[in-house]
Amino acid sequence: MREPIPPGTLDMLILQTLARQGELHGFEIAEWIHRTTADVLQVEEGSLYPALQRMLVRGWLAAEWGKTDENRRARYYRVTAAGRKHLEREVESYRRVSFAIASVLQPA
Amino acid sequence: MQFFRGLWRWVRRDRFAEDLEEEMRLHIELRADKLEREGRSPADARYEARRAFGNAAAIEERSTDMWGFISLDQLGQDLRFALRRVRQNPAFSVPIILVLALGIGATTAVFSAVDAAFLRPLPFANPHELLTLPRVNVPFEMQREEANSRIIDIQDVAGMSHVFSRAAAFASGDLNLADAENPARVKAGVVTAGFFATLGVRPYIGRAFADEEGKPSGPNAAILSYGLWQRQYGGRDMIGRTVMLHAKPYPVVGIMPPGFSFPNESDLWIPMSIPTTFETFGPFRGFLPSRVIARTSPGVSAEAAAAQLLARWEQRLSVQDSTRRTNFNDYVQEVRKSGAAVPLHKNLVGTRDRPLAILMGATVLLLLIACANVANLLLSDAARRRREIAVRQVLGATQRRIVRQLLAESVLLSLGAALVGIALAPAALSLLRAMLPADLAGLAPAQLDLRVLGFATLLSVGTAIVFGLWPAVGAARQDATSTIKSGGGHGSTGRPGPARQLLVVAELALTVMLLVGAGLMIRSFERVMSQNSGMKPDRVATLEMSFARSSQGNAERLRVINGTIERLRGQPGIEAVGAVNDLPLRGGGGVGLLLNVPGATHKIPESMRFARYLMASGGYFDALGIELLRGRTFTAADDSLGSRVAIVSQATAKAYWPGSDPIGRTFSFPGDTVPVTLVGIVADVRERALEREPGAQMYLSIDAQTPSYVAIVARSGLPPATLIAQMTEAVRSMDRGQAVFNVRMMDEVVGRSVAPRRTNTMLIAIFAGLALLLAALGVYAVVAYGVTQRSREFGIRSALGATSWSLLGMVSREMVAVLLAGVGIGLLAAWALARVLAALLYGVDVHDPFTFAAVPLVLLIPAAVATLVPASRAMRVNPTEVMQAD
Repeated sequence: MREPIPPGTLDMLILQTLARQGELHGFEIAEWIHRTTADVLQVEEGSLYPALQRMLVRGWLAAEWGKTDENRRARYYRVTAAGRKHLEREVESYRRVSFAIASVLQPA
Repeated sequence: MQFFRGLWRWVRRDRFAEDLEEEMRLHIELRADKLEREGRSPADARYEARRAFGNAAAIEERSTDMWGFISLDQLGQDLRFALRRVRQNPAFSVPIILVLALGIGATTAVFSAVDAAFLRPLPFANPHELLTLPRVNVPFEMQREEANSRIIDIQDVAGMSHVFSRAAAFASGDLNLADAENPARVKAGVVTAGFFATLGVRPYIGRAFADEEGKPSGPNAAILSYGLWQRQYGGRDMIGRTVMLHAKPYPVVGIMPPGFSFPNESDLWIPMSIPTTFETFGPFRGFLPSRVIARTSPGVSAEAAAAQLLARWEQRLSVQDSTRRTNFNDYVQEVRKSGAAVPLHKNLVGTRDRPLAILMGATVLLLLIACANVANLLLSDAARRRREIAVRQVLGATQRRIVRQLLAESVLLSLGAALVGIALAPAALSLLRAMLPADLAGLAPAQLDLRVLGFATLLSVGTAIVFGLWPAVGAARQDATSTIKSGGGHGSTGRPGPARQLLVVAELALTVMLLVGAGLMIRSFERVMSQNSGMKPDRVATLEMSFARSSQGNAERLRVINGTIERLRGQPGIEAVGAVNDLPLRGGGGVGLLLNVPGATHKIPESMRFARYLMASGGYFDALGIELLRGRTFTAADDSLGSRVAIVSQATAKAYWPGSDPIGRTFSFPGDTVPVTLVGIVADVRERALEREPGAQMYLSIDAQTPSYVAIVARSGLPPATLIAQMTEAVRSMDRGQAVFNVRMMDEVVGRSVAPRRTNTMLIAIFAGLALLLAALGVYAVVAYGVTQRSREFGIRSALGATSWSLLGMVSREMVAVLLAGVGIGLLAAWALARVLAALLYGVDVHDPFTFAAVPLVLLIPAAVATLVPASRAMRVNPTEVMQAD
């Protein structure tokens, strides 16, 4: 079963993906998230591009046009230093929250 | 940095849109390839890829929104759409624009008038250095006292050079300006030679008065105002030419710059000599109250100057001999009370700032009501549009886009209102200037105040935006599907929200405050008008003349006065005719004299110390309806050859001869030993103002003391035009060349004397009326909205057997609570704030129970109409129609 990505976490997922993988274009980002989560999380394509655009504007991502293996023009994104800093903060707070949730849910 | 990046992106927006499109196209292709590899047919794969991607246009829009700049294309679209809506929906947009425009126009006009009258600095050099010195004298040449024991005068002040660098005196009066083609009555400033230098104002052309022109029997000279120069002489070269003032030649030596008309909107200036002589005020019936001003020396503060001057007064008091000490002490007490030196600005503004401040307050209340009203209209409109917004949301419009759309509408409406308001403001200002009495209009020419215009516009634009958007944001957040399903827009849930009811409460409360203010003013006006003035001004006509020519000695004047009276008395329809030197309520300032009553030991109240010096003919009292209480009026025998006799007013008799019959008693004038015998007592006349208690009044026979100025008074049932024509003709028949002026009915004189009060009352009443209208509109909007919203509910209720009366009751009950809250809060606030009106009221308590009781009733009628008219629609709801509508 496929779950839509919980709101607010999309930025984090994209940043993390790019931090690990270096340069990817939009489709690759969506595919990578999809595969990595063993088909559980699906990036809605409708929210991916606005998110990329938003992070580009904020300076967390940089983009450059390049060629794919099949020689098609694609825009490749990578994380900037500011993006890494933001990612760290996001991950940190995500950990805190999920730990808190987990402890509530733990059977007594 | 952010900003420039945004700007860069915006400049290159086409490039970015292309990039995005290409990126998304690639994505769809790659997705389709993948699906094909997984075994779908190419067409199926392509379709599925596109479906998965969703609405490309919406994504693009959302993505481009991130660019930080709204695309101008979209803005244009929004504005076009908004304009269409505003135009197609006049029932919604016209009231909003008009109400806001009214608020903007009125606030700007009133504030500009207030600003001109008392906020703007005086148009003089370093105005903060200028002080008025109350009670400082300009000496009269006949004064005989020792230099160090008299009242402080302008020469003493000029001697205090370490405190005051300059001193001057001025007075203001009317003069006849003879001119072959265009004789005119002009306002003259009578000023000492140093007047213009003290103010720091230079003539535009020519020179100011020379020192010798300011000395007794110095040469005549006149300085013209720019206005008179243009008006009367067409701006031609006047320096060195002679003008005839009060039948005397005055060479013109200078012309003042445009806009300078101090004091009292002077048309021209003539010198006042120090000390003054009989000639100085000869053209002005012998007397003009003059005021002394001074400029502080560098580095001396106003307070320090006042302290030094007061010390000088105290020192003078200490050298008085015992006979004068009491009077002088009273005088110094007055100086202490008023302050020995008062900033000129404060002194000039003094009594006028209160009415204007109150007017300003009333305008601000009106602006607030206007804003509340517009907020209300916008809120009900937004509520009506919930369904439309929901539909657009479902069709893919983003929340940002919807908010922007509503924003465009609000901005368009409020800017439209601002334009109308700005167009309205100058007209309102000139209307206001025309209505305001001269003493409220101020010294500086009124200009539209751009800051206020800006402020009022911002306030209305702000109101429109906040109340246009607040519900919109909520609407855009709402779950679109459920709104549509529930038939939102005419569903059963929509009661007017608390925000809208609170707005109406606020509107009602503000309106109540204005109504209370207006009520108190109207009551005061009534009290003033119904005040027993001591005379009966109806059916009385008057004309005035001034004997200026040197050929008109006492005998000649008497010939004209008595001849005119005789001639009129013989005519049919005329009941009584008389003459007086100083018409009541004419507002010219009269002369007061001390009366010495032999053997009197009691203290005369301060207000009665100076008796108004009046010269009247025997018929004057009958003509003006002043009742003779005891004794007799003057007869022909009371001329300069007979024994000196006088008539006094009742209050004078009580003050000077308490507890005894004064008829036949005598008094004398200071510096004169000839006894004057009292022959009659007449009613007190309120001659200074209807609302001022009459002071002491004393009449001498016009045959014995003949004035150089006189008013003829005639009582008659004839039509005013006929009566006035007969009176003018009577004067002409005695002397062809005699000029008459102020030919009018006495009612008009009385009317003019209350003009400031009438204007204030009228303006506040107009504001209150507008507020009432706006509040009724607000109530109507809320009730009408509620009825529309709940028509479905009413349909069901009515189908279930509710009578139309019970439906009407249901709707009205909610409004009753709002009304009660609004009126209650308004009355409390008015009760607390009423004291600020105290200075404007007369004969009415600031907490006048009648007014406070009447205001809710006045409000009730329009509020009831505004409630019942839309509420009655609830009665007519047709159940079947409503149920079928969805």
